[in-house]
Amino acid sequence: MIQITDLEKFYRTEEVQTIALNKLSFNVKEGEFVAIMGPSGCGKSTLLNILGLLDDPDAGSFKFNGEEVAGYNERKRSDLRKHNVGFVFQSFNLIDELTVFENVELPLIYTGVKPAERKKRVEEVLEKMQIMHRRNHFPQQLSGGQQQRVAVARAVVNNPKLILADEPTGNLDSTNGNEVMDLLIELNEAGTTIIMVTHSEHDAKYSHRIIRMLDGQKVTENVLV
Amino acid sequence: MIRNYFKIAWRNLWRRRGFTFINITGLSIGMTASFLMLLYVSFELSYDNFHNKMDNIYRVVADIKTPSDNIEANITAWAVPPNLEKDFPEITSAVRINDLNMIVRKGDLKFKETNAIAVDSSFFSVFDFELLQGNPKEVLKKQFSIVLSETTAKKYFGDQNPIGKSLKITEEGFNSTVTGVMKDFPENSHIQADIILSLTTFTQHLDKELDTRWGSYDAAAYILVNPNTNTDQLTAKFPAFLEKHSGEFMKQSKMFVTLNLEPLKSLYLESTRGGTGGGSMTNVYIFSIIAIFILLIASINFINLTTARSVERAKEVGIRKVMGAEKQQLSLQFIGESIITCLIAFFITTLLIIIILPFFNEIAGKVISDGLFSNYSNIFKLFGISLAIGIFAGIYPSIVLSSFKPIQVLKGNFSTGGKGVLLRKSLVIVQFTISIILITGTIIIYNQMEYMRNQELGFNKDRLLILEAESSTSQLSLKNAIDNIPGVKFTSLGSSVPGGGNSSAYSEIENKAGDLQIANLDLYFVDHDYIPQFDLEILAGRAFSKDFASDSTKAMIINEEAVKLLGYSNPKNAIGAKFKQWGREGQVIGVVKNFHFNSLHDNIGPLTMRMETNRNDLISVKLASNNMKQTIAEIEKLWESFLPEQPFDYFFLDDSFNEQYENEERFGNLFLYFASLAILISCLGLLGLAAYSTLQRRREIGIRKVIGASVSEIVNLLSKDFLKLVMIAFAIASPIAWYVMYNWLQDFAFRIDIQWWMFLLSGGSAILIAILTVSFHAVKASLSNPVKSLRTE
Repeated sequence: MIQITDLEKFYRTEEVQTIALNKLSFNVKEGEFVAIMGPSGCGKSTLLNILGLLDDPDAGSFKFNGEEVAGYNERKRSDLRKHNVGFVFQSFNLIDELTVFENVELPLIYTGVKPAERKKRVEEVLEKMQIMHRRNHFPQQLSGGQQQRVAVARAVVNNPKLILADEPTGNLDSTNGNEVMDLLIELNEAGTTIIMVTHSEHDAKYSHRIIRMLDGQKVTENVLV
Repeated sequence: MIRNYFKIAWRNLWRRRGFTFINITGLSIGMTASFLMLLYVSFELSYDNFHNKMDNIYRVVADIKTPSDNIEANITAWAVPPNLEKDFPEITSAVRINDLNMIVRKGDLKFKETNAIAVDSSFFSVFDFELLQGNPKEVLKKQFSIVLSETTAKKYFGDQNPIGKSLKITEEGFNSTVTGVMKDFPENSHIQADIILSLTTFTQHLDKELDTRWGSYDAAAYILVNPNTNTDQLTAKFPAFLEKHSGEFMKQSKMFVTLNLEPLKSLYLESTRGGTGGGSMTNVYIFSIIAIFILLIASINFINLTTARSVERAKEVGIRKVMGAEKQQLSLQFIGESIITCLIAFFITTLLIIIILPFFNEIAGKVISDGLFSNYSNIFKLFGISLAIGIFAGIYPSIVLSSFKPIQVLKGNFSTGGKGVLLRKSLVIVQFTISIILITGTIIIYNQMEYMRNQELGFNKDRLLILEAESSTSQLSLKNAIDNIPGVKFTSLGSSVPGGGNSSAYSEIENKAGDLQIANLDLYFVDHDYIPQFDLEILAGRAFSKDFASDSTKAMIINEEAVKLLGYSNPKNAIGAKFKQWGREGQVIGVVKNFHFNSLHDNIGPLTMRMETNRNDLISVKLASNNMKQTIAEIEKLWESFLPEQPFDYFFLDDSFNEQYENEERFGNLFLYFASLAILISCLGLLGLAAYSTLQRRREIGIRKVIGASVSEIVNLLSKDFLKLVMIAFAIASPIAWYVMYNWLQDFAFRIDIQWWMFLLSGGSAILIAILTVSFHAVKASLSNPVKSLRTE
């Protein structure tokens, strides 16, 4: 599903150029659950942004479902993204002014789904995440675990082929963290590809394969199953 | 999707109520102020435009050149209009309008009608003043015909039909017949009248020679020309016309007349000759600019506050983009929010205008609008303005917000960037520049007003009560009776008092070279007591005296300016100069020091004073300082017994003299109010900006406090940036304000010098207000617990 070859990304400030990704290459197959680990500043998040079509690489190749997407313009990336990729963030990133229902509904609005269909699908996914009873609450009224469940619900409501999770349990206690990991496993078992960036060895163990990075390069790759 | 935008817009506004309040309040106040200004301006621009034939109506005015001066009159000789109509086929009609001041009686009812005119019979055909009763072509044809305004008709006849009833015009002693009732003249008409008398009353009865008088100037004249008449060509024919009819007379009198045409449509605002009700194109420009300024200030607030808050909205933008929102969709969302805010402001503005309009009318001194809903186009205009502000003020923030990079935003390593900050700072400078210009303007206007009020006028106007008695033989006896009231110090009789207007007369006076110099000179008729009563200083010769019987017919006193006009180097040399004026001949017996017999708009002109008892309509009464009320009551009693047919009518000279500055005072007041509003709105914006800037620097403040900064050091830190902006604004505003106000002052013959302290005062007050505004938040921030602000990072 994902093939990246010699991917490079630089950040320039006025005087210094930092290499975030240095000729990185790896593949992810459909239905895989891959964990990416490494110390802060090793390029994990940069990688995730490129994989999520939020950012463009400076060099190298990135094939998504066999299609070369490096060099796509903002509009094409956005189009590909909203139909294929779901995001889960460490800090949940829910919109404070929208209710649980409305937050989850958002991706469907931007992909042009009709209101009746939207309602059905949002309710389905809220049911599945067991937060239906909180549908009219605002994010600040929920616990961290509940907020992340809403975020997961929002990530999957469009039935994306790929979920990108950026330290999804980073802001949660262990009980809530485990619950979120169970949700991700469940989605993966249903066929969704998952790429997760994490600092937690515990979480990484849920995955099929762990890629370890340092200074923008892949250091090791462990296959767990 | 739209619903989603609405929802989030509404919730956003509600969640940040403080911010929303500042934003909407600023906008509403700004929109209210500028809309009122625009109403005022459009009212001023609407003068006389209700006449269907406006484009073809012109006022005929005369430039009169004498050997001594050149007078730009707003009237013409009586004979000019009817002869124009006769001689030029392109002129359809000519109308003369003569201001009258008459006492009208009906049984026991008696009123002094100061707003009366006598006009030619074509008046209602040329002008579109609405007649409620009577035929426009007929009502003014016959002599003694009178047309009343609706209000005046009610005053005399109540609910009875006034047509055919009679009213007595006492001064001239005839009965007039009401032939028509007209709707009260619209406020935006430079011609105003409550009572109209047919001019045939004069031409057929009171003064049958009127239509042939080429040297007597009293009436304003208007002509209606055929459509597409080239008025330049028409004007070019006037010299020959005058030569034909009065060439001989002009040569004889050495008064050479040129006729000019002033178009009705621009008369009110652009004529400098007076007689048009005091409109001013300059004021229209000034108020339009202020209105736009205030709108600009309010919009700038909106832009500044919205972009300053963009940090808060950044996360939402990031999430929406990740969820698939496109830049345009986000831009639309933010413009939509801006429009919603402006529409809320629109509703509040509508309410505010409804409440404020009556007060505004009062300040403006006229009813510029009966109400917002009296003209529905106003509502649409206001709505359009709101929508336009919503869109234009929303564009920049929407571009800024929608261009955020989602990754940076969501990762938290995000700053608003130097560019937006620079723009915000520039906009704050613009706001304060405008405010400081307005404050400086206000200070200078007020100082000029004070200067005019306190100017040494050269005569004493304290406790001077002026009684207006229409020419009657009883004046002298009334004056003598009033003299005996214990509360009265002196009395005198005269035709004019300073500031109240006076006749001007064709005069011939012996000049330095020994020739009789012809000049059109201002003329006061006075009695023996007038000069001492007004404390006028005699520089040479003597005042009028009862010891010289010839004074009452053969003596003239002139002022310093007249001495100068005649070429004498010393006032003493003018004594004994021969004069001819209005049928009298004699010699100059004295010279008075210049005094301001006109307002300070005008330079002091040459003045002549003579005695002629039958022209002294005004009785000046100097009151003792105590019991003035009782004294006035006693005067009234005497009045009733001496002049029973006239209503008791008086005014205080200092009041009436200051009334000359009514227009400036109104202008000054409006200016003051709107300058204050500009400052208020600017400060609201500053308050919001300061709030957000301290919020952004919370962490920095926390760190500084932990390291040991004191409260005052932190307040200083936070205030410094804003103060710098106000200082820069001050530097930009001062020269502009100087330039504008210097030009404004040129309208006054007697004016103040612009002083450095005026700028210091306006800059100082702007800085002080800014400090107070900013330090409110700065103090709050510096008092907060640093641990808390550091933890939230």
